[in-house]
Amino acid sequence: MNALYLYSGWVRAWHWLNALLFLVLILSGASMHFAGAGWLLNFEIARPIHNVAGILVTIGWIGFVIGNLVTDNGRHYRVRLRGFFQRLFSQMRYYGYGIFQNEPHPFHPSAEMKLNTLQQLSYLGVMYLLMPVLILSGWAFLFSIYLPETLFGLGSVWVVAMTHLTVAYFLALFVLVHLYIITTGETLTSNLRAMITGWHREPDLETQPRSETQG
Amino acid sequence: MKRIALKPLSPTAKRRLIVTVLVLIGLTVAYKVLYPLAFESYVGKTNAPLTYASSTALTKTEFEALAQELSTNARQRKAAAIVDTDQEPFARQVKIEMLMNTESFIRDTEPSHIKYFREAGIHRYEGPQTCLHCHATIQVTHGDGTVKNVDTLGDIVNSVHFKFQSESGGFSTYGYDGRQVNSGPHKIPVGKINRACGIPGSFTWTGWAALVASRPEHGEGEVTMRSEGCGQCHIGGNYQPATEKMMPIGDVPSEAKEGIDCLICHSTDYDMNERHVIQDDKGLRWNQDRSLRAALTVGPISSETCLRCHQHNMGGDAYLHNEAARSLGHINQRILHRGAKRGNPFSPHDDTHAASGIQCTDCHVPEGHKIPRGRKGVDLVANDIPTKDVTCESCHTQAPHNQSEHKALLNGHIARLACETCHIKELEAENVVLRDWVHPTWDSDEGLFEPTDIYRSGKPGKGFTFLWFNGNGTFLANALGNNPNGSDTYNPLMQQVARIDDPEMIAAVRSKATELKQQYPEIDVDAYVRMATDPLSQLSPEMLAKREAMIQNNLRAVMSQGESRIYPFKLFNAMMFEDMSNQGPFGAMILPFDYASYYETGDTPASVKKAIADPIVQRMYQEPFKLYMMDEFMSYFGITEGWKTVYPLVDGRLENVEPHWMRQMGTLMVNHGIQGKGRDCIECHSPDGIMNFRQLGYSPERVAELEDIDIIENLKEQPDSAAAQ
Amino acid sequence: MTNLALSGALLLTLIAVATPAASGSPATENKSCLRCHAMATLAYRDPGTGDIVDLAVNPHALSHSVHGEIDCIDCHEGDFGRYPHPADAANETLSCVGCHEKDDTKDDTKDDTKDNIARFKSIDAEYAESVHATSDSAEAEGFSCHSCHDPHGFRASQVGEEIAAIVRDDNQVCLSCHEKVRDPLSDPHAWLPNREKHWNAVRCLDCHTPLSDNGKTVSHQVLKAEDSNRDCVNCHSRESSLLNRLYQYRSEEDLATKGWLNKAVFNDAYVVGMSRNATLDLLGLIVTGLTLLVLAAHGFGRYKAYQRTKGKPE
Repeated sequence: MNALYLYSGWVRAWHWLNALLFLVLILSGASMHFAGAGWLLNFEIARPIHNVAGILVTIGWIGFVIGNLVTDNGRHYRVRLRGFFQRLFSQMRYYGYGIFQNEPHPFHPSAEMKLNTLQQLSYLGVMYLLMPVLILSGWAFLFSIYLPETLFGLGSVWVVAMTHLTVAYFLALFVLVHLYIITTGETLTSNLRAMITGWHREPDLETQPRSETQG
Repeated sequence: MKRIALKPLSPTAKRRLIVTVLVLIGLTVAYKVLYPLAFESYVGKTNAPLTYASSTALTKTEFEALAQELSTNARQRKAAAIVDTDQEPFARQVKIEMLMNTESFIRDTEPSHIKYFREAGIHRYEGPQTCLHCHATIQVTHGDGTVKNVDTLGDIVNSVHFKFQSESGGFSTYGYDGRQVNSGPHKIPVGKINRACGIPGSFTWTGWAALVASRPEHGEGEVTMRSEGCGQCHIGGNYQPATEKMMPIGDVPSEAKEGIDCLICHSTDYDMNERHVIQDDKGLRWNQDRSLRAALTVGPISSETCLRCHQHNMGGDAYLHNEAARSLGHINQRILHRGAKRGNPFSPHDDTHAASGIQCTDCHVPEGHKIPRGRKGVDLVANDIPTKDVTCESCHTQAPHNQSEHKALLNGHIARLACETCHIKELEAENVVLRDWVHPTWDSDEGLFEPTDIYRSGKPGKGFTFLWFNGNGTFLANALGNNPNGSDTYNPLMQQVARIDDPEMIAAVRSKATELKQQYPEIDVDAYVRMATDPLSQLSPEMLAKREAMIQNNLRAVMSQGESRIYPFKLFNAMMFEDMSNQGPFGAMILPFDYASYYETGDTPASVKKAIADPIVQRMYQEPFKLYMMDEFMSYFGITEGWKTVYPLVDGRLENVEPHWMRQMGTLMVNHGIQGKGRDCIECHSPDGIMNFRQLGYSPERVAELEDIDIIENLKEQPDSAAAQ
Repeated sequence: MTNLALSGALLLTLIAVATPAASGSPATENKSCLRCHAMATLAYRDPGTGDIVDLAVNPHALSHSVHGEIDCIDCHEGDFGRYPHPADAANETLSCVGCHEKDDTKDDTKDDTKDNIARFKSIDAEYAESVHATSDSAEAEGFSCHSCHDPHGFRASQVGEEIAAIVRDDNQVCLSCHEKVRDPLSDPHAWLPNREKHWNAVRCLDCHTPLSDNGKTVSHQVLKAEDSNRDCVNCHSRESSLLNRLYQYRSEEDLATKGWLNKAVFNDAYVVGMSRNATLDLLGLIVTGLTLLVLAAHGFGRYKAYQRTKGKPE
């Protein structure tokens, strides 16, 4: 049995808070978008919830970015170009084929590199591309009174709304896939457990168990 | 986390640090000491510590005696205003004295600064530093209600009253090139400081302070010294206007700031007889009343204090009720300016607002030392608060008439007429319309050569005319606006202000020209009359065509902006020497006169030569000045080719300089001298009314309607209309 | 579809009616009245109240108004033939009903605006219920049609007009009396999210009148504050009542040109819950569904593989 302390306290706290806010946002957002459909939340209730959750997610995102800048968690998002495609391909091959053949995981997390290349790419896209767009468009909604009348010849609120909605769909999709992927660890729950306890456990690694303390 | 430890600096770093600090110190010294010196020598202006004879120290006993006197005077004045006059003089006197010695009356009436000075032990008034002793900062309430604490000296030094110019935007003036002055990126300082003008005949740099040797006839050849110059009305007490403020860097030196005359505005007992030119080893400058008497009577600003200077440009120096014009100086008496700039006085005798005790600052509500002149401004005078309104409507509302049976109809006129149009019926007869600076006349009483006023009148259609005005003006002070019907026939720059048609006026000009011919035989009377009454005749056909094109292409749009109403405008034109190298379709650069030689000799070319030999005029004709402001100035002026630096004085001769009238008359707003009772309908609504509806851009049908007197006859027929008045 | 057809028909009638008014000059009879009353500042201060009484008529607004074609004296029947008008002329009663009669003879009461003349029948009934009629507040005293509808300038909003302009003009009528509504300190609309945005985007009447049926103009029954519509979903839903109220004025042309992009981009407006882009929503749901299917299939494959390992002896 090998154990690695992969997720420090703040990462886990942020992750679970973010997860909760995501669910709240999806629920309240859908409630407004599909208002009058007779299910989900009341429009009047959904609106303040969505706004508050959106503001919290913004704060959380800023916290995440700052956290990655000042701690060494950020290095996990640095793409290493050497062997990039080979790693990417082997990871894709694993999910698409190897996993059904009970092949071993091609990637073993270490303290230096806890995310596999596919994970790394999707997180990069979500956290540094989609999230900023989602957050900016959300804030544009909040302060829509200060927006110019038109943007690119269209009503600016409409542009903002469509951007927000499209990104929201993408992120909902991400959540689905993410939820599924966490079951692909050594056991169904090992990844989930790692995010709860911070410890990643693998049965048959040769190195000695070691622990790291964050400074 | 790593900790960065402070390491001792390496020798190279140390050296670099020392060099940087030294360079910074060097630059500061250069900016603070060398730059002012260089600037002074470049523009040829002087700054020096200023002393004033009236600023004397009093002993404690003298102070108390003065305090006693001032307090008694103040109480006497106030008590006399309260006690009824219709009684035995002796009984009245006793009552006045009783009231004067009542405890609460003393407390409320004694000039407040007596107590302040006594407590602070101030026994001598030393100018701004004495005031700043307590008033280093003042609270300024802005138009939007915000209150700020500002540095008093900075506030006044940056006010138009001190600078006479502004290089920020906010001008309602448009160049003949169609651009709003200082609305673009290249901002130039403009205002009275650099605006040559035909009324004073000079400008601030060449005419700041002059001592003139007069030879009045009754003096039997004895010379009397007289004072003249722009500085008499301006609060800077130094040897020049605040030229330093025209540069993007630098500041007025502290000596000059110490010359600010606080008391001329803030004191009730300021002695205008102290306001005369004095000469010291540095040059000529204006004296001030810095007596403790004036300082102790500091009180609230009132119309009286403003009018010490401003009656000069409203009622005029020759106006009967101009108080300041009665105190011309203990010595070197100021020369009275005859021929009024506006001829519309603000005084209880001739203005209904003044008569009801309204103070200047009731309408021109100041923000600290910044005083608004209203959004509408036809001339190139800087405005401290260009966004602040000064309007009749702010008090009178849109429905001011309540007396007449026809009040609704009268109110109806407000959509098209400014209040002044009906409520200023005439200007003072002294109002000058045409002034010839080139051919002065000898004034034997004063013993001086004075510019000849060819025509003066205060009558409508003669001394002033009616023009559409939307608040904009041109670079040479022509009101802009247009008939709201969108007329394209209304063209004052080719009609109303560019020619004089009135036969009476033409006859008067002719008779004056004939009179001048006695003295100046070279005058061709016919040509003289044509030039004065048809100034466009001085333009070549090409220039004339260019002028018309510029009006259409550049000014039409500016004329059609906003909402125009008909306003009365005082008309003015002057014949002066012009630098023909810098001529455009609207005029050429006029050249200033040196006051002393002008008044003393009447030799006008010599006087021009002397004035333009002034270093700052020479600088004006050099490249840096051209680039810094003159090219821009000329563009606004309607001269597209830029400023020609051809200095018009060559080997003591004037080159390419000709006497001319400006190619159109200037129009000055008149807003004071308001009469409670306005005009009668018939004054305008008749075929020979005072308003030329056709030239105002109305269609022939509408003109006929407006001139139709039937409707007025109907009004009169109403038997009860007189009773309702 | 009926909605579109209806507004199309309305458009045609309006064009037919509006053309002569726009091209013709105001009736010649009006000229002598307008000689004075066209003065924009014709007014006086009532010595009784101190208020300014405005007597001005904007000739341009008049000639473009619903009354643009009729003469002043058709309504003002007093002795206004000369100036000054006799004192009793001010007490004239206006003869509105001459045109706006209650036509009881015909059974066309469903359409108040038949022949493009607003008949007062249903308007009367609606107005009688209105807070303007029922309020016993002193401010509501003397409230009449003219308090909102300036007879010298009133014109109904027309199809194709810019929605923002309709909102601005309509709300200006309300705000001319209800100026306190915009006072930030005493604003009864504080509960309204994005208040400024709402004020610029919807008319007061859209919330302050009962919901009306398709194609009908907004009711004259102006509701009390507490009875007014506070249910967001009335507008923020696919069946938004705004569609047949405010947005009935959107032009066919706009819809036609912008429809391909988004059927709900009415005059570039976006209303949360109402302006749903069907394509985007469908695409989103399809992709989500497909993903779920793929994930399920993947999971199933893994389950099968897992079973294989269990079946195999170690």
